[in-house]
Amino acid sequence: MKISIIIANIVTRISTFLLRIIGSGGTSLPGKAGMVFKRNLLQLLSNNIKVVLITGTNGKTTTSRIIAEIMKKAGFTYFENKSGANLISGITASFSLNSTLTGNPKYDYAVIECDEAAFKTVCPMIKPHTIVVTNLFRDQLDRFGEITHTLNNIFIGIKASSDSVVVLNADDSLSFSLAETISNKIILFGLDSPPHGSDSDFLSDAPYCIRCKAPYTYEYRTYAHLGKFFCSNCGYHRHQPAISAGNTTLLQNSSKIDLVIHSQVYSCLLALPGAYNIYNALSAVAAADSFLIKHEVIVAALSSFNSGFGRMEILDLDGTAAHMILVKNPAGLNQVINFLSTDSTRKLLVLILNDNYADGTDISWIWDANFEKIKSFSDTLDKIIVSGIRAEELKIRLKYAEFDENEIILEKNYKKLINFIVSDTADSIPVYILPTYTAMFDFRKALSKKYKIRKFWK
Amino acid sequence: MDKLKLCHLYPDLLNLYGDRGNIISMQKRLEWRGISLELTEISVGNDFIADSYDIVFIGGGQDFEQEILLTDLSEEKKKNIRYAVKSGVVFLAICGGYQLLGTHYKNWNDIQYDFTGAIDIHTIGHKKRMIGDFTFKCSDSALAGLTVAGFENHSGKTYLGGAVKPLGEIIKGSGNNGEDQTAGARYKNVFCSYSHGPLLPKNPVLCDYILKTALIRKYGDYNLSVLNDSAEIAAGNYIIKKLK
Ligand SMILES: [Zn+2]
Repeated sequence: MKISIIIANIVTRISTFLLRIIGSGGTSLPGKAGMVFKRNLLQLLSNNIKVVLITGTNGKTTTSRIIAEIMKKAGFTYFENKSGANLISGITASFSLNSTLTGNPKYDYAVIECDEAAFKTVCPMIKPHTIVVTNLFRDQLDRFGEITHTLNNIFIGIKASSDSVVVLNADDSLSFSLAETISNKIILFGLDSPPHGSDSDFLSDAPYCIRCKAPYTYEYRTYAHLGKFFCSNCGYHRHQPAISAGNTTLLQNSSKIDLVIHSQVYSCLLALPGAYNIYNALSAVAAADSFLIKHEVIVAALSSFNSGFGRMEILDLDGTAAHMILVKNPAGLNQVINFLSTDSTRKLLVLILNDNYADGTDISWIWDANFEKIKSFSDTLDKIIVSGIRAEELKIRLKYAEFDENEIILEKNYKKLINFIVSDTADSIPVYILPTYTAMFDFRKALSKKYKIRKFWK
Repeated sequence: MDKLKLCHLYPDLLNLYGDRGNIISMQKRLEWRGISLELTEISVGNDFIADSYDIVFIGGGQDFEQEILLTDLSEEKKKNIRYAVKSGVVFLAICGGYQLLGTHYKNWNDIQYDFTGAIDIHTIGHKKRMIGDFTFKCSDSALAGLTVAGFENHSGKTYLGGAVKPLGEIIKGSGNNGEDQTAGARYKNVFCSYSHGPLLPKNPVLCDYILKTALIRKYGDYNLSVLNDSAEIAAGNYIIKKLK
C-alpha cells in the first residue's frame, strides 16, 4: 500500500519538474498523473494535516493569502496551493509536493483554496479542520449553472465533513442559508454597518428570499446583495456575526476598521482597499479564530498583509508600476471600478477579456458591470486599451458607456501591448491591468519573456 | 424630440447575465439620433398596462426566479400582455422571457407551467443544456439574410406553432430546439431569441430594425440616420468567423 503512495508521489514530482523545465506554469497535470497510481492519494496525503479549505465565488485567493499571513505570524508551519491550482488535480499535486515520498506531511497546516464546483469532491476527501465559504455571486453560468446549484454542491461537501468548523458570511443571504442545513460548528463574519468613503453598487444577485421567494428588506447594504437582510414573510434574517467590522472607512489603498472578535474591539488598519477585501479579511480572521490564534497576532498580520497572486499585484516593469487585478464577474469588476474611481492619479487602464473555459465561455457579464462609472473618471485615464480574445466586445462595451470609440486602443498582440505600456508610461504613469483568468496567465507569460517577474508556481 | 417608451418586464427576476446590454444598446442608438427612451420597470406586484409602451423587453432568468414570477403572473397580467402583442407593441423577449410569451413550459418531470399564451409557441424542458456561441440567418425580408451572432444557454426546447415564423435559420448552434434549424420567433411585432445577454450590441442592424418597427408604429414612416457601426460589426464578426 505504501509503495503505491510512493509511486504516485514520484510520478507527481517528475511531471511537475518536467513542466517547469519546459517553462509551463501548468499545475493540474502532475496531480492527475499521481492520481492514476493512487486513486485516493489526496485523502491519504491530507490525513495528518490540519487543513483550512476556502471556497466561494469571490475572494478565495486573497482570503487564503491572509490566512497564510496570520499563520506565518503565529509561527505555524503550513503550505498553500498557490497559482490558482484549485481543482482536485491541482490540490492533489500541492499535497504531494508538500509531503515526503512515503506520504508523511512536511507541515502541520495547509491553506487550500478550492473551486466551488470541485468542492463537493475535494472536501469529503480532505475533511478539513475549517471550511471557509467567502460568498456566493452569479459566476460563469455556463460552467457552474444556477447559484442554487453551486450552493447545493457546497452543501454536499460540508455534509460529508461534519467535524469541520464552517466559516460563513452573515451578510450574504445566499451562502448564509447553509447555516440552517448543516450541523457543524459555525463562525459567522460580517459588517456591522455600511462602509464610509465609497459609493457602492447594489447590483443584486439575490433580491428575493432563498427560503420563501418574498422580497428582502435591508436595514443597510454594504455592496451587491450583501448587508443586513430580513425577510418579513418567513423571518429569514442575518444573524449577528462573532467576527465583524464596525466603523469602516475605505481609503485609497487601505481600510480602517474596528475589528470585533468575540466582542473584543481592535482598531485596525487593513492594508487592502475596497469593501470586498474587508470581507476577505474578516473571513480570514474567523478561520484564524477556529485555530485559536491570539487576537494580537491576527491584528498584526492584517496590517502587514500584502496582496496575493494576481488579485492586486504590483509588478515592476523597468520602473513602470503595473498593477494587475484579476476580474471575472460583474460584482468583482464593479468593486475594482469603485476602487479606481477613488484614485485621482493619472493612469493607463488595460482591460483583457478571454472566453476560454476557465474564464467562462459566456462573456455577457461585462454588460452588467458598471463601465459607465469608468467613463465618469475617464479624465484620470491617460489611455484606455482593450485586449484579449474578446477585445472587440470590450471595445463596444466602452463605446456604449459613451467612450469615444476612436480613443479606445484595441491591441490583441501581447508583445506590442507590453511595448506600448512601457513606452507610453516612460514618465512613470502607473498602469492598471484588469485581465480575466486565462488572460492573466497568458499576459504574465508574455511579461516574463521580457521582465523578471515571479513565477506562477512559487 | 421624438421619444419611445420602453417597459422592462420583471427586471429583477429576468436579468440573466448581460440582458441589460440590450437596453443599453437600444437607448444609446436612439440617443445618438436625438430620440429619447423612457424606461419603466414593471415587476412583482406592479400592474402592466398594455398600451402605455412602445417596446417591451423581457430578459432571461434562472429557475429560482422563474418560480417567483409564476406566482405574480395573474390572469389580468397575462391578458394585458396578450393584448399588447395583439395590438402591435414591439416585444423583444430573450430566453426565459421568450418562453414566457408562449403557451406553456413542460419540464422534464412532465410538470406543466402555463404561461401567457401571447404567441403560439411552447417549450419542453430537457436535461441537456444547449450552450455556446451560435449564429443564424435572419428570415425577415427587410433584413436580407443578415447573419446574427449570439450566445445560447438553455435546456428548454421551443417549438413554433403555425402562425409564428422563426426569427432566423440556424447556421451554427442549436437554436430553438436543436432539431428543426429554427432560431427564435417572429409574430406581429414580437422578436424572440435564445441569444441571451447582449444580443443587440454586436448586431446593430437587428437593433435598428427593432427600433424602426417601434418608431414607424408610433410616428408613421420613419428614417433612422446611419451610424458608424464598424466596432459593433467587428464584435459580431469575431463569432461569425470563429464558427465558420
Ligand atoms: Zn422568506
